[in-house]
Amino acid sequence: MRPLTFHKLLFQCLILLVILFLVVIIALKFGAVPVSLYALGRDLLRVLLGQSSQISSDYGLIIQNIRLPRIILGIIVGASLSVAGTSFQALLRNPLADPYVLGVSSGAALGAILALIAEPHLILPPAFGALLTPLCAFLGATATITAVYFLSRRGGQIDSTTLLLGGVITASFLSAIIVFLMSTVNSSNTRGMVFWVMGNLSTSFQKSVYWFLAAGFFIAAGVIYATANDLNILLSGEKEAMHLGVDVRRVRFVVYIAASLLTGLAVSVSGAVGYVGLIVPHVMRLIYGSDHRTLIPTAALGGAIAVVIADTLARIVVAPNELPVGAVTAVAGAPLFIYLLRRRVA
Amino acid sequence: MGDFLKKLLPPRLHPAAFAVLAIFTCAAAPSHAQSATHSATEPPAFREVVDETGRRVRIPQPVRRIVSLAPSLTETIYALGLQDRLVGDTDYCDYPPDAQKKTKVGGGINPSLEVIASLHPDLVLVTKSFNRLETVIFLEELGISSYATDPHTVADIVSSTKTLADVLGVPEAGASVVGGMQRSLDNLQHRLGDLPSKRVLFVVWTQPLISVGTNTFLADALRHAGAVSIVDSSQDWPQVNLEEIARLQPDFLVFADSHFENAQREVERLATLPGWKILNAIRDRRYAVISEAVNRPAPRIVSAIEELARQLHPEAFSERPGDTKGKVDKEDPSSSSMAFTLPALAFSLYSTLHGDHSSTGGCACGH
Amino acid sequence: MSPGRSSAAPLTPPELTRLGTEVRLAVEQVSYAYSANPAQAPLFTLEATSFQARPGEIVAILGPNASGKSTLLQLIAGVLSPLSGRILLNGFVIHSLTPRNRAQRIAMVQQESRLLFPSRVWEFVLQGRHAHGRPLRFESSNDMQIVQDALVHVGVAHLSDRLMDQISGGEKQRVILARALAQQPLLLLLDEPTLHLDIAAQVGLLDALRRLCARNHYTVIVVTHELNLAAEYADQIILMQSGRCLRVGPPATIYQRELLEQVFQIPLKVEMRGHGRPRVTILSDS
Repeated sequence: MRPLTFHKLLFQCLILLVILFLVVIIALKFGAVPVSLYALGRDLLRVLLGQSSQISSDYGLIIQNIRLPRIILGIIVGASLSVAGTSFQALLRNPLADPYVLGVSSGAALGAILALIAEPHLILPPAFGALLTPLCAFLGATATITAVYFLSRRGGQIDSTTLLLGGVITASFLSAIIVFLMSTVNSSNTRGMVFWVMGNLSTSFQKSVYWFLAAGFFIAAGVIYATANDLNILLSGEKEAMHLGVDVRRVRFVVYIAASLLTGLAVSVSGAVGYVGLIVPHVMRLIYGSDHRTLIPTAALGGAIAVVIADTLARIVVAPNELPVGAVTAVAGAPLFIYLLRRRVA
Repeated sequence: MGDFLKKLLPPRLHPAAFAVLAIFTCAAAPSHAQSATHSATEPPAFREVVDETGRRVRIPQPVRRIVSLAPSLTETIYALGLQDRLVGDTDYCDYPPDAQKKTKVGGGINPSLEVIASLHPDLVLVTKSFNRLETVIFLEELGISSYATDPHTVADIVSSTKTLADVLGVPEAGASVVGGMQRSLDNLQHRLGDLPSKRVLFVVWTQPLISVGTNTFLADALRHAGAVSIVDSSQDWPQVNLEEIARLQPDFLVFADSHFENAQREVERLATLPGWKILNAIRDRRYAVISEAVNRPAPRIVSAIEELARQLHPEAFSERPGDTKGKVDKEDPSSSSMAFTLPALAFSLYSTLHGDHSSTGGCACGH
Repeated sequence: MSPGRSSAAPLTPPELTRLGTEVRLAVEQVSYAYSANPAQAPLFTLEATSFQARPGEIVAILGPNASGKSTLLQLIAGVLSPLSGRILLNGFVIHSLTPRNRAQRIAMVQQESRLLFPSRVWEFVLQGRHAHGRPLRFESSNDMQIVQDALVHVGVAHLSDRLMDQISGGEKQRVILARALAQQPLLLLLDEPTLHLDIAAQVGLLDALRRLCARNHYTVIVVTHELNLAAEYADQIILMQSGRCLRVGPPATIYQRELLEQVFQIPLKVEMRGHGRPRVTILSDS
């Protein structure tokens, strides 16, 4: 009998953090524009010391303004999707659940396409204008979260089966609306929807957006983590969980909202990056077991690592062109999923 | 599909092939015209040509009823003075404004075959980058012939216009239009002379960053305007990494939009983003805005090329002063309305007030 | 089973300091109705039932299928809310407690649903400690000791590292009991615990229950339809039929031939044995 201790957890997370750090360094080095390790180190040091104004080399500017923000975005998106996927798998008691199964990404995509259609007709200040699409996407996501929640209520609390059914139906319905819009609306802006189909980390945002995303992630993931023990027991069965002291109704509600918001945040800025939320939790379960106190932080780190690697490949495989990151995760993720399936853990 | 057909007849051969065929068909035309004056029991006359995708097309003579399935082809028809023979066009055909009054057959990808058939056209005009082979095949099964263009350079556009004029039976109008285009282009060449080309990034879309490939007529149009696209890609609409653009530092960004304000807003918006503001062209607000005509392989593209040349090389047009900031040649602010069908959208109010350009003669997908 | 049980002593809810209180569980005129559709008549009702239970007592709720036994148990567990009447545990209305507070006092042993991600036996038993301590926590050595003790008490300590889907049905039932013991409850509820067990396992389970009851002063409530087991082990029996409580009392008063034949609808014979425990023999059709 070896119980989980805080030190053990810390150690496991530390290993992953080191791996993430190495992956980030590699991602910073490789790209359409080659950078030497020396120049990279020197410029990173300058950034850390707050001397970013002294970065004069073109490459340094590229690293700081294009590559580094993109990597940070990849980390946040990967971590968000993985934690959301873990949560939904526990909430729905279904190993095939991913963050998009309840329709959040379809709602976000609908918000985005409406923003793209409306955008030429609106007069907006420049800084806000760049945020219109992600903001509308997030609003679409929250509207969907609310709708599916009310659809799935039975006897005043969320019912797992109804939640899954309601979410899947909503996702299909919203996707149909999106297809309808794209085929009938005569706007050149709808070509931007290609961004959403496969997930894409290439969009540039203002600094404040990254802070907001990071804050959102830590808050939502923190809330979910506080229910980690409850989730462990919930997986044993709902009736048993109630007898063991889990407030099933409250936990379901909290986890549903927090995980959906995580998904909404991620999808609003990067489109629907596939497979990360589905597979990373299973891989981490394989390595670290099903205890959510370990699973949630390791899934977050694992997701971040996966997305940064995928995005780096997306940037260098056909450089200077690039692939959408979702294409890379799909190509890598599908075979990996089949492998996990055969090991009968998925 | 179309690609397969392209391989049958390498692009370079097209003009030569047409020239030969045009001579033969012109020689044959008088005899056809004679036979048409006989009684109605005579079988209808046909002419067989090879279109720009290498397909053999049997065209009834004379061509009295035309349906156009691409905005560029509609524009070309008007330029050739054949608008009275145009019985149907697509929802996207908005130039000249008169074209909007024609019977609509739907979009370019999925036009309504029933409507086309009900118009009893003698010939349907299609273009490879905007229409699908399936549509052509369906029409063939209905007994309707389609003629396809496929220009990849500005020179192709010119010769394509001339050949189309010949096929439609108005070679004089064709010569006149083509002559005008060629003169403008030559004039431009003369003005630009030895001036070094400006390195530009043609921005199709920003999120993600999509530009034009090397083998498109758009890229060629840029060349005629004294510019060269810094993006070198065999894809038609490549998604480019912003890092590469930051490394190459283009002299100018080029936007195609009939509304100058839109491009201006876009640039202001980009200037607030960390990844974009390290581009010198953004920082110094060096951008050119030209009409969306540049997206359509039609006679009007020449004026768009001129517009661009004016903005990039103002010194070559010293008798007509212009500034380096974008200046839209207000040819024809389009007032086409968007085909909204969702009543719930409040934005439909805006659309009836302002209107928006649809895209184009080229396929507007990113990948 | 160490004498120094301080580490395994039940955490004392405030009300237990009122020592000398005889009645631990009081079920007062509790009724319940279940209807799928609020507009329609109820599909099932439980009529007003009352009984009391004391520390160290084993109560059996006895009756044929669909007699309302499990419903009554769920009401006592606090999962269902009574239509009328109330259920008090040491003076507290059970249903008004939070799930956490309830779990500190009441433990349920019932058939386990299929586990999605099977855990190890000791992890499973550790779940019983969830209601005690902070919501997000790492288990203390005290918790681990309690788990170990529970495993020993039910006799599955040798299986502690196995996965839950690698042990037999009888062993699984005992592990579930161990988890309930780890909760250190006042009230132990068991829903048909002998269903899938062979006779040796059944006897082993009930013997263990009787031992634990005597030692830790649990109050045990068992739902069963096993006539002889109930007769052998229960101190008090609640006889149910079709949602009605027919009689409450010690086995001697319940095991009357006419009454049992009417409830169970089979011919039988009742013998009173020496130590006050009746035995029922089913008479075959001859």
